[in-house]
Amino acid sequence: MAVDEIDLATEFEPKVVAFMCNWCTYAGADNAGVARIESPANILPIRVMCSGRISPEIVLRTFREGADGVLVMGCHLGDCHYSSGNHRTLKRVPLLRNLLGYAGINPQRLQLEWVSAAEGPRFARVTRAFVDKIRELGPLSQEVSA
Amino acid sequence: MIDQLRQIVAELLSTVDGPDSVSGVVALRRSSQGVAPHLYLRGDDLSGLEIAPRYPLMTVVARLQQSFPDAHLGVVARGCDERAFVEMAKRNQVDPDRLYIVGIACTEEEAAECYCAAPAPSMAARLVGTPVAGSGPNPIVAEYDTMPLQERNEFWRGQFAKCFKCYGCRNICPECFCEECALEDPTWIEPGLLVPPFPVFHLIRAMHMASRCVACRQCELACPAHIPLTVLYDLMRRDMEMMVGYVPGADIAAPPPLSVTLTEAPLLVDAGHAH
Repeated sequence: MAVDEIDLATEFEPKVVAFMCNWCTYAGADNAGVARIESPANILPIRVMCSGRISPEIVLRTFREGADGVLVMGCHLGDCHYSSGNHRTLKRVPLLRNLLGYAGINPQRLQLEWVSAAEGPRFARVTRAFVDKIRELGPLSQEVSA
Repeated sequence: MIDQLRQIVAELLSTVDGPDSVSGVVALRRSSQGVAPHLYLRGDDLSGLEIAPRYPLMTVVARLQQSFPDAHLGVVARGCDERAFVEMAKRNQVDPDRLYIVGIACTEEEAAECYCAAPAPSMAARLVGTPVAGSGPNPIVAEYDTMPLQERNEFWRGQFAKCFKCYGCRNICPECFCEECALEDPTWIEPGLLVPPFPVFHLIRAMHMASRCVACRQCELACPAHIPLTVLYDLMRRDMEMMVGYVPGADIAAPPPLSVTLTEAPLLVDAGHAH
């Protein structure tokens, strides 16, 4: 079932946008698929060259466009294809999380996860856990309606 | 105090040779509307030189230095001006080697008004006034942690709803010098909406202020809607200090922590597993 076919009127199914780095997590998601490990259909994957590409503006716009949760996923520290792109991510995402909390938006809606190209099972696990958490939190529109 | 300052500026302007000689001094001048930034040159009348109300003069210094690459300027600066200068210097906006700082120590009342932790410049060649101890942080920052999400949400929703995008906070900010501003980029901020949709506009600015905001409070003074912007920025400042031990404006040798690697600016807390 595609994300936009979910009938929000009957049951809340979270929309989650996952930004995945080209070198690790995107391949990790592939790995999960090839291994036939089920991961939630709520995830809308967006491939980026590096998790360090994800600026706060991008995350905020993603929420504004209707995502109930945003995952930023990249290579483990030390594995970054650009050597230190994810160093920036590791400072930026927690800071933005705190800021969301200060404005009264549940910071749990934004999460950073490292998933390597070989970690298909981990990809499935963290995405499932995140979607479950967002399902519990309910739609974002409760928190940011205009 | 003001007489002593005028005396120092007069001396500085009449010095022709040596490290103390300057092409001009940037300070405030009394005008019919209050005060305005002014470049005092040799022989100028200094009777209109003022120090209040505060104005972020480093922005003016940056423009003058860029337009006159050979000029060695003087500037009359408070603690916050100096902190702004430090962050600007790191980002190549001002040249510390071509600047002579005449410092003003703020009074205790002024420090308390701004919740200023460092109310006197530390790098000034000359200092007017007696440095006083810094004031404690805005008590709201500590109270904030116990405020439930719902309450924070309602508070900021009410505050941000007063915004009519005058961009005064950005325009007055000494640390806002990007040639292309994210707040004017239609990709992030929809043009034509008078009240920016909650909460994107202000959160983008708050994120950009992390590691830059020197707590000069000019944005809050400039805001015609009286949005308590510095509450958010103070929270970000606290986070930066906890996360990487960075205090904007405190150390000209410390690299901007969000732009460098973990080796250059290591995390002091385990941010990766904090959630």
